[in-house]
Amino acid sequence: MQPDLLRQVFGWLRRLEDLLLALLLSGMILLGALQIILRNIFDSGLAWADPSLRIAVLWLAMLGAMAATRDGNHIHIDLLSRLFSGQGKAVSRMATDLFSAVVCGLLAWHAGRFVYFEWQDGSMLYAQVPAWLAESILPIGFGIMALRFLASGMLQSHQGKSG
Amino acid sequence: MLAALLLILAALAGAPLFVVIAAGAMIGFHGADVDLSVVAIEFYRIAEMPVLLAIPLFTFAGYLLSESRAPQRLVRLTRALLGWMPGGLALVSLFACALFTAFTGASGVTIVALGALLYPAMVEEGYRENFSLGLVTTSGSLGLLFAPALPLILYAVVAQQLGIGGPISVDDMFLAGVFPGLLMLTLLAAWSFWSTRGKPLKGFNKGEALSAIRESVWEIPLPFIVLGGVYSGYFAISEAAAVTALYVLVVEVFILREIPLKQLPSVMREAMLLVGGILVILGASLASTNYLIDTEVPSRLFETIQSLVSDKLTFLILLNLFLLVLGTMLDIFSALVLVIPLLLPVALGYGIDPVHMGIIFLANMQIGYFTPPVGMNLFIASYRFNKDILQLYKATLPWFFILFGAVLIITYWPDLSLYLTNRN
Repeated sequence: MQPDLLRQVFGWLRRLEDLLLALLLSGMILLGALQIILRNIFDSGLAWADPSLRIAVLWLAMLGAMAATRDGNHIHIDLLSRLFSGQGKAVSRMATDLFSAVVCGLLAWHAGRFVYFEWQDGSMLYAQVPAWLAESILPIGFGIMALRFLASGMLQSHQGKSG
Repeated sequence: MLAALLLILAALAGAPLFVVIAAGAMIGFHGADVDLSVVAIEFYRIAEMPVLLAIPLFTFAGYLLSESRAPQRLVRLTRALLGWMPGGLALVSLFACALFTAFTGASGVTIVALGALLYPAMVEEGYRENFSLGLVTTSGSLGLLFAPALPLILYAVVAQQLGIGGPISVDDMFLAGVFPGLLMLTLLAAWSFWSTRGKPLKGFNKGEALSAIRESVWEIPLPFIVLGGVYSGYFAISEAAAVTALYVLVVEVFILREIPLKQLPSVMREAMLLVGGILVILGASLASTNYLIDTEVPSRLFETIQSLVSDKLTFLILLNLFLLVLGTMLDIFSALVLVIPLLLPVALGYGIDPVHMGIIFLANMQIGYFTPPVGMNLFIASYRFNKDILQLYKATLPWFFILFGAVLIITYWPDLSLYLTNRN
């Protein structure tokens, strides 16, 4: 029962991520183009557009990195892993996954503290948008990456034992 | 020291590079008693650099183009326009690949999208197998020096945020890459011309040329939008990227309808996977670079190197060799964010212009892509064309020497890079 529920939650999270990615990118293209039209034809522009676009880059980066973690597709050096095979490969994969989980966990924790400080400060990014909201993708993103690396590492250990 | 060894081991074992870099930064800051939230604060600077907007937008446009039938049209068009010349199809490959790589930036894509069309066509027209293999594999990284290639943008971003050596803009890098890129193209074209001498020429077919132009009528304006917009100063880089992305989206999805709307989210996801991968490395390196500068590693490195190497020329030779080895091991993006913060201050100390340094770095990394034994494109080509890796070593060797010659010229002739930028 429980693994099914977990799988459902993960599937739902995955679709949400992909949807957010597509929406952010589409919004970015349209808003960027709109700004050019406003500036060149009407000699004006939206004050909130530029800061929003910059935040969108950060969110896209984190969502893209989360997706890359899900696919096991981060940029890495492919030197030693070519030499290993079978069991050795699984063990080295497990070790690097668990290491990555720890590092991402630490990043999430310290990013969370950063966001908490900003929340206490009550600093505003622009207009009605508080800075902590824009920054919140950092702890969320690194947290999810940590969980994914952990899950992948545990999967490797499972496969290593059975294989 | 032990920590550094463990990190190197983790990187070699295949841990994601952003994790290794972030871990290095955290270990360093922890040792210096700095609150580790600094890593998050530095990472957040990704949201404070407006020019980074260009990276997701150009990458998306490039992915969309490679998913459509644009590669086929590009090959047909260059073939109709250049195929009649001596060297025929070889010239076509060089030009088409350079143009395509400038837009896609990540050069593995070029071999897969264009090489797969060009290699069989060359073999069919009677070009020697090794010549064709070498050409296609080499062309896979050609074009990195032409706007709007991603590495040019990223170099300007990294160099700019170091805050040394005066302002370095993306525009400068776009201009500086033009002549060195053309030099590479010319040398390779000359070699193709010489190796295929005596092959019967094909006539220029006006009908085919016109129909190829008509078929590509929507894509032909693209280079002009990007280059014209940027070089004339009409668009900022990020604006040119937004226009390019919107234009490609409208053309391929709504006008030509080659990519169904349903498939769009998955193309976006694929493109953003690469963007996320590059930007988290950049973000982590902002933190590690900050630590290195705080502890004055670059200036100590410079002092050490200067006590060993006294003149600029020797430094440049060593630089070329070091980058060649680096390029076989690290991809261009990771190498850039990791090594430039260390090397740029040293290069400035020897009186090398930061823009010239960028071109030297990228030109070197470009040949690293197919330097034996572990250049990435060798493996992609070996896999894609189902050839033994040893055959690829042999096939790419003459091309490697030609481009290495080009890199030496680029290195020792700064004006070639700086002429258009008004920095010389």
